[in-house]
Amino acid sequence: MKNVREPVRIKWIWPVLVAIILLGVPWYLPQGSIEPIIMGFPYWAFISFIMTIALSLFLGYVILNCWSMESLLDDESGNTKAGGGR
Amino acid sequence: MKLPFIGWHGVITIAAYALFILGTTLYLATRGVSRKSLSSFYLANKGLGPLLLFFTLFSTQYSGNTVIGYPASAYRIGFAWWQSVPYMVLVIAGYLLFAPRLHVVSKKYGFVTPSDWFDKRFNSKAVTLVATLLMTYGLLNYLLEQLVAMGQAISGLTAGVIPYIYGVLFLVAIMLFYESMGGMKAVAMADFINGIVILAGMIGFVFLALTNFGSLSSATKNLIATAPKKVAVPPIQTSINWISMYILVGIGAAVYPHAIQRIYAADSEMTLKKSLLRMAWMPFFTTAVAFIIGIIGTQAFPGLDKMQSEQLVGMMANVIAAKSTFNYWLMMLLFSSVIAAIMSTTDSVILSLSSLLSNDIYGKVIKPDADEGEKVLWGKIAGMILVFLLLLIAWKPPATLVEIFTLKFEVLIQVAPAFLLGLYWKGLSKTGVLLGMLSGAVLASGMTFSGVKTMWGWHGGVLGLALNIVVSVIFSLVFPDKKEEQDRAEEVYFWVVRD
Repeated sequence: MKNVREPVRIKWIWPVLVAIILLGVPWYLPQGSIEPIIMGFPYWAFISFIMTIALSLFLGYVILNCWSMESLLDDESGNTKAGGGR
Repeated sequence: MKLPFIGWHGVITIAAYALFILGTTLYLATRGVSRKSLSSFYLANKGLGPLLLFFTLFSTQYSGNTVIGYPASAYRIGFAWWQSVPYMVLVIAGYLLFAPRLHVVSKKYGFVTPSDWFDKRFNSKAVTLVATLLMTYGLLNYLLEQLVAMGQAISGLTAGVIPYIYGVLFLVAIMLFYESMGGMKAVAMADFINGIVILAGMIGFVFLALTNFGSLSSATKNLIATAPKKVAVPPIQTSINWISMYILVGIGAAVYPHAIQRIYAADSEMTLKKSLLRMAWMPFFTTAVAFIIGIIGTQAFPGLDKMQSEQLVGMMANVIAAKSTFNYWLMMLLFSSVIAAIMSTTDSVILSLSSLLSNDIYGKVIKPDADEGEKVLWGKIAGMILVFLLLLIAWKPPATLVEIFTLKFEVLIQVAPAFLLGLYWKGLSKTGVLLGMLSGAVLASGMTFSGVKTMWGWHGGVLGLALNIVVSVIFSLVFPDKKEEQDRAEEVYFWVVRD
């Protein structure tokens, strides 16, 4: 069988994604706080900035390493192996 | 956006730019396109390579609003508007929920529109029709919004030298011309040119804004002194609102009909992967740039009210353009990029709309035995008629019932469960998905009509989607499809998991 990978079926991806998303939203930080300022960003927006980079990196990793389905199309022709109630 | 400095130069630039796009698309992107095949015309024969696919995904996703509206939002909201960057990245996560499987399924069964998935999976005329109508309705309003934006951009750019409606008619005629000749291939080629102009315009503008109005750090210091709330950790309600936007945009933008058709149109999985990989970084060059422009604007033009802040980009451009000829033409590039951003979204929406009319309304309801050439022709003509009706509405908006024209995301997102659940769970029944879509659409539109934009920080579209999912699951369990139907439905996608 060809090596088929589908992001939805790789369970660990999703909790990691949710964690990155939630850490990028300032719900857990003291409301009204501003300092320190880092590169023109208040610290909480800087955290969000870093988490957004982490998000893009992580999604890139998932796209490259956890997604490979096209080989199914090659061995589909004439192959009526069991599954799906055939 | 008022730009008294441009006038006739603006008219000439828009005309020359539009004719350049027309010439290029006709020359490069009409050969090999069959207007007698739905797949060839609407999906470029499912042969879009990495470069064209990426640019058409990119420039379709970012509209004129990104260039003009997003800096204004950053100006008003402050640092909490950073959310516009991650929520655009999250569209890629939205795709990962269903695109890998949908791509191979669509190749196997030769899908042309999102409705083809409904047809194949649920095998129910009612489900397909309701989904098609929801998508058509959402797309029509989306198109209307783009036409209005186009009118505003043109009237700003040309400073009233010509009535803007002529400008809109001219651009729409150009788009309809290259679309009717080259379909998706022509749209992708135009999007390629538009995408480059969008990027160049935005990056050029932020560079000049930084050199003319001071750095981000000085704007932040100024903001701490004048409006500390815009710099401070926002209240919890804003954080909820932020997460709600993630869901609304992340899932909503991924299931736009024209977005789904780009999954079908990719020539291979590798092409789709490469394009999405690049798309995950594009918000840093678009919405992040718009965000920085807006924050810098708080120092350059303090104290603007909501209406005035919408003019922010125009005000900044006026100041920059007055300083040198180089700046003047660079600002012209920025405004070409506004037109480019609107055009590239509009042409894709028109094409998607035309495909729904052709493949689904005509081809599935009115005359199922029509040949493909006839369907394509019908879609083109019906599409043109609808575009001109919308132009009339955009030109002379009705005094009442304005709300029915504002529903877009809220209704479009209601087709999501049919993909997110329907691709993985054979138990999702016709009754469940139908009642889910309807109840979600009713709740979301009800909230919009009654002027309630959010509830506890959650948007109407997201609450509608949540209700939609709950109703879909409950009614699928209470009124399941027959065993044979479930097996048949599972067969549509189950071959991908049989290892």
